[in-house]
Amino acid sequence: MEVLLGITGKDFTLIAASKAAMRGATILKASDDKTRQLNKHTLMAFSGEAGDTVQFAEYIQANAQLYSMRNETDLSPSALANFVRGELAHSLRSRKPYNVNLLLGGVDPITHKPSLYWLDYLAALAPLPYAAHGYAQYYCLSILDKHHHPDITLGQGIKLLTLCTDELKRRLPVDFKGMTVKAVTKDGIVDIEFDDDKVVKSA
Amino acid sequence: MDTLVAQYSRPAYQQNNALAEEEQQDLLDGVPGASNLSLKFAMPPVAHPSAWLRAVSDDRSNPSCPIKIAHGTTTLAFRFQGGIIVATDSRATAGNWIASQTVKKVIEINSDLLGTMAGGAADCQYWLAWLGMQCRLHELRHKRRISVAAASKILANLVYQYKGMGLSMGTMCAGVTKEEGPALYYIDSDGTRLAGNLFCVGSGQTFAYGVLDAEYRYDLTTEEALELGSRSILAATHRDAYSGGFINLYHVKESGWEKHGFSDTNPIFWKTKLEKGEFSNVTSSFSERV
Amino acid sequence: MSGIFAINGGACVAMVGKDCVAIACDLRLGLQALTVSNNFPKIFQYGDVFLGLTGLATDVSTVSDLFRYKVNMYRLREERDIAPRTFANLVSSTLYEKRFGPYFVGPVVAGLEPKTGEPFICGFDSIGCIDFAKDFIVSGTATDQLFGMCESLWEPNLGPEDLFETISQALLNAVDRDALSGWGAHIYIIEKDKVTKRLLKGRQD
Repeated sequence: MEVLLGITGKDFTLIAASKAAMRGATILKASDDKTRQLNKHTLMAFSGEAGDTVQFAEYIQANAQLYSMRNETDLSPSALANFVRGELAHSLRSRKPYNVNLLLGGVDPITHKPSLYWLDYLAALAPLPYAAHGYAQYYCLSILDKHHHPDITLGQGIKLLTLCTDELKRRLPVDFKGMTVKAVTKDGIVDIEFDDDKVVKSA
Repeated sequence: MDTLVAQYSRPAYQQNNALAEEEQQDLLDGVPGASNLSLKFAMPPVAHPSAWLRAVSDDRSNPSCPIKIAHGTTTLAFRFQGGIIVATDSRATAGNWIASQTVKKVIEINSDLLGTMAGGAADCQYWLAWLGMQCRLHELRHKRRISVAAASKILANLVYQYKGMGLSMGTMCAGVTKEEGPALYYIDSDGTRLAGNLFCVGSGQTFAYGVLDAEYRYDLTTEEALELGSRSILAATHRDAYSGGFINLYHVKESGWEKHGFSDTNPIFWKTKLEKGEFSNVTSSFSERV
Repeated sequence: MSGIFAINGGACVAMVGKDCVAIACDLRLGLQALTVSNNFPKIFQYGDVFLGLTGLATDVSTVSDLFRYKVNMYRLREERDIAPRTFANLVSSTLYEKRFGPYFVGPVVAGLEPKTGEPFICGFDSIGCIDFAKDFIVSGTATDQLFGMCESLWEPNLGPEDLFETISQALLNAVDRDALSGWGAHIYIIEKDKVTKRLLKGRQD
């Protein structure tokens, strides 16, 4: 029951991930960060099998950083998305595939265009204006279909995110302990203060 | 005696010719109700009928099963100050094949009561029609309209008798009565029966819940409520492959239900996208993939 | 098709006309019942040759990238574009290399023979058996519906405009009876020295 959400707007990409680290019927940690920064303008959120997630994300992070150091330039979000897809697709037909679902959000360092990429554990890649993974897809995509516009501001984006998390709090059978929210803008990645304590009443 | 033994020792599938006698028997029994109606179904001549039925007709666990029962739906109903809104899609699928785009998933039990259809289409149609009969009999016997609570309980008790036999239905009963006001019940083939303000049922339920929960209030105006019901079904038809076709919209009031159209989703979708700027994920220009 | 081939959904069709060919695909990318994207085209252009790929989305991307690499290498070595028939054989042998762990795709190739201008289409199974056809090739989760539409609508020697109308109607009406494909379509009409690309707005349910 991990929640990953991503929303693009006029000049930013929002990435949000649930804070609960769950193993079986236990919540091991209520302040988990399921995101890794790949370079100045790209952030990746991950969910999936325990162990695989962080191993894969940090492998990608290390390679993205290595590229930046060697070439003194960052890969664009689309280049990174295709690199990640290649690695995941390669792993899919190996003896022990990574079982990881990803959202990759970024702002192009040159054009300043925000972008969001959806990747599942099979390495299917789709560029989308807004995306989710897990059960959140089933509850939030219809909300985003209705309320999302391509030119929303960061404030409106956060409001939209609240609309989604409210619905998840209302309908998901387990507590996901709130969300870590980060915004990618042309100036880099910033942590967003997000109110997790709001109580949502059911209809 | 010999004929009697012969009649009951025949396998079930050969008993069709004995139907006339059985029907006569039923008429003679006289007492109407669940007990004698529910025993009229021919059983397959196998040791475990319900297990056999599951093996041949459950396309979720066995996609190559020989019998594919029509599935896949989005239905919703919610209470508000002006009564109850009931809305459904109209798609029936058998596997990935779209068997129909014009299914009526709102069943008019009588002029006051509505039922919705999700799960096995035949199960819902048959038992909600049967429920209509029971409601009419109740009226004749007691000289007053049946309450929604009572009607829903008749259905819940009936399906519970068949629990484990392979019935598949998720239904909502909606009606407005003097005593109860707007009343809404959810009943499914597990035997669950719940009263509530708002329910969505079917494969597209979560998508409908998403849109509905975000803007639902009890004091919605009738126009707002109708629009919200319709928009929630539209959301589900867009995201759920097994929902689609037409939006079937009803408003239930104390004076009975009112139909608000059976409208194709296609023009509604493009109108919603172009006029309100929603569905920004749907491209309307040619673009190469990244 | 079922199982792995039907996880993501999708449909593709190619048709022969008079001195022209057409190839079309839907735009859906799904995860079983859930529609994830409405902008996932399944036709890829390599010079003058067109490749349609249905099936598992990850393999659609992998295989299309692989052929982009192979066709570019061919162009560098031969200093000319690859011909459709040559490309078809490249597809066939590439797929058969993975005979015991196949790519889960249903490829369709369309193009005009560079020398004669003769229309060429063919389809494949997932391990490279070529299906040469003089009329049409279908692939994806809506194959049954597409066969029905093509058998009834297609006729020999259609001009580019009529061929566009025929392939569009065949695809749109086929995917409207398939739960896992649709949500818009891309159509390519390929003539001697002109390629027309069109986006079709389909039903969005």
